[in-house]
Amino acid sequence: MSGSRNPFLLFLRFAIILIIVAVLLLPFLWILVNSFRPTMDIVGGPEIIPSAVTLANYTGLLESTPYWTWVRNSTIVAIMTIVLTVPIAVAASYGLNRCHFPGRNQLGVAVLAVYAFPTAILVIPMFALFNRFGLLDTYLGLALVNTLLATPFAIWMLQAFMKSVPSEIEEASAMDGSGRVRTLVRIVVPQIMPGIFSVAVFAMVVAWTEYLFASVLMQSDTNRVLAVGMADLIGQYRIDWGRLLAGSVMTAAPVILFFSITARWFLRGVSAGSLD
Amino acid sequence: MAAIDLVDLQKRFGNVTVVDGVSLQIQEGEFIVLVGPSGCGKTTTLRMIAGLERPSDGEIQINGVVVNDLPPQRRDLAMVFQNYALYSHYTVAKNLAYPLKSQRISKPEIQSKVSEVAELLGLSHVLKRRPGQLSGGQRQRVALGRAIVREPRAFLMDEPLSNLDASLRVEMRKEIIELSRRLKATVVYVTHDQVEAMTMADRVVVMNHGRVQQVGPPSEVFEKPRNTFVAGFIGTPKMNFFSAQIDLSPETGVRLGQEFVPILSDLAVSQDQSVTIGIRPEAFALSESGLPVDVTLTENLGSETLVYAGLAGQQCWFQVPTRAAPRRGDSVYLSVQPEDIHVFESDENGNRICPK
Repeated sequence: MSGSRNPFLLFLRFAIILIIVAVLLLPFLWILVNSFRPTMDIVGGPEIIPSAVTLANYTGLLESTPYWTWVRNSTIVAIMTIVLTVPIAVAASYGLNRCHFPGRNQLGVAVLAVYAFPTAILVIPMFALFNRFGLLDTYLGLALVNTLLATPFAIWMLQAFMKSVPSEIEEASAMDGSGRVRTLVRIVVPQIMPGIFSVAVFAMVVAWTEYLFASVLMQSDTNRVLAVGMADLIGQYRIDWGRLLAGSVMTAAPVILFFSITARWFLRGVSAGSLD
Repeated sequence: MAAIDLVDLQKRFGNVTVVDGVSLQIQEGEFIVLVGPSGCGKTTTLRMIAGLERPSDGEIQINGVVVNDLPPQRRDLAMVFQNYALYSHYTVAKNLAYPLKSQRISKPEIQSKVSEVAELLGLSHVLKRRPGQLSGGQRQRVALGRAIVREPRAFLMDEPLSNLDASLRVEMRKEIIELSRRLKATVVYVTHDQVEAMTMADRVVVMNHGRVQQVGPPSEVFEKPRNTFVAGFIGTPKMNFFSAQIDLSPETGVRLGQEFVPILSDLAVSQDQSVTIGIRPEAFALSESGLPVDVTLTENLGSETLVYAGLAGQQCWFQVPTRAAPRRGDSVYLSVQPEDIHVFESDENGNRICPK
């Protein structure tokens, strides 16, 4: 640990870190704890250590909603989004980093400028477009929109990883008889695996949590995704807080679980040593 | 293996000229060393041969075919990089197999070639390791192995030994020479280390400021340096340079301050012409009479001692056997044979006048 060894300053630093962590985590803790409390208790006021514990919110949720259908739909859309976003982002950031062409820097900036537009203004043109191409109420349609939303930032995320790949190993690959594409796939991609993993996580989270387009484009009940389904728990006159909180936990849980398992596998074997 | 011809090769980055008209004919199976101080254009020249840089002007021919427009992967050359540039995500075996996989070669054949090369370079026991788990010398061998496994038309090596420690460097130097002889390989080797250049090369190409200063076998470059740059760059300890004037009577020689030193007479010079003379430190001998010098410093190198002294108001250094070495503060006389005196023009090019 660098920095001061003064015990008071050390304590102060830990205290500050603890407060920040607490502020960040408390809402999640509150959701988790209250999802196990009877609805009447929740409305009664906050408790960190619940006086009564129940699984009723979860069983109720699973009985009254097609939760597993929503999860399946969201998973399909998320996987399609990852599959579309990652190759596009990898190819684009490689091009922006390694290929020399006029307007390269401007293009790099323009990619991020996409976010300057409120996505809501895209809803109506998208609806019209998807209607024409028969993409309304399809997994592919929603995945395309999610890809559109995720890719610019994904490209930007990958730039830093791309820059860290030494140009010598690409040159070595060329000398070893490989063209650009083979070099990208066989040499560069494995080197930026942590970046690709981050991008995959990001694309998945975008797809998993996107609400606006999902609610407009996915009209049939059978194709409804998790975010839209959960939002429907909020009725016009009445909110079942218990089920909503249980639903929140069950929305976040698959993502957290999936990535905590795959992270290790993804990051394995990526180590230094190509250069001296 | 291939012959490589460079014809008036130029490389400019913006308005900086890095390689300025390099012409060179590299014979098939020849070990060529490009040597020069950093920034002399040797690495850029190598990278142009490789196809990693595009020449601004001039031609590169491999076996008589102009390859200026061929990308590196289609030139069939192999390169060893200074920092090895190994693929860290692959094992040693996969690193060695990589160049073969882009060719249409069957798996068993790839395997047998990889194990053959691994055997040759003593890598058989580390085939399953990744580059990160290897020592510097082993990484160097993997880089070499990756180059030779494909049997390319020529090898390009960019300071491949500069990241190794001294003893390993001597060892690998020997291995590279033996390897190149065994494979009868055309090798273009870049280094800033003149010892590597002298020990490894069939012909040395001395470069400075993007230009070829001299091309020749190591002995020729050492014995007949074409100008003061080459004379000063090749040879350790460095050659002495003195400003002197030609004196043709009573015999051909130079005046070095008050002293007269005879030189060989077959040269086109005129009386009182200003010249630069170069004398290698080992060409001086202690004697009873001759050039008087005052010893200012001695460095014991083991069997030899390097002595720094003042000669006619100019600094000089000479190398003598340690047993006979003078001490600091001594005044001694030095003699030098006329044929050991290199005479250069005194202008900035410092071209060689004598002996021819």
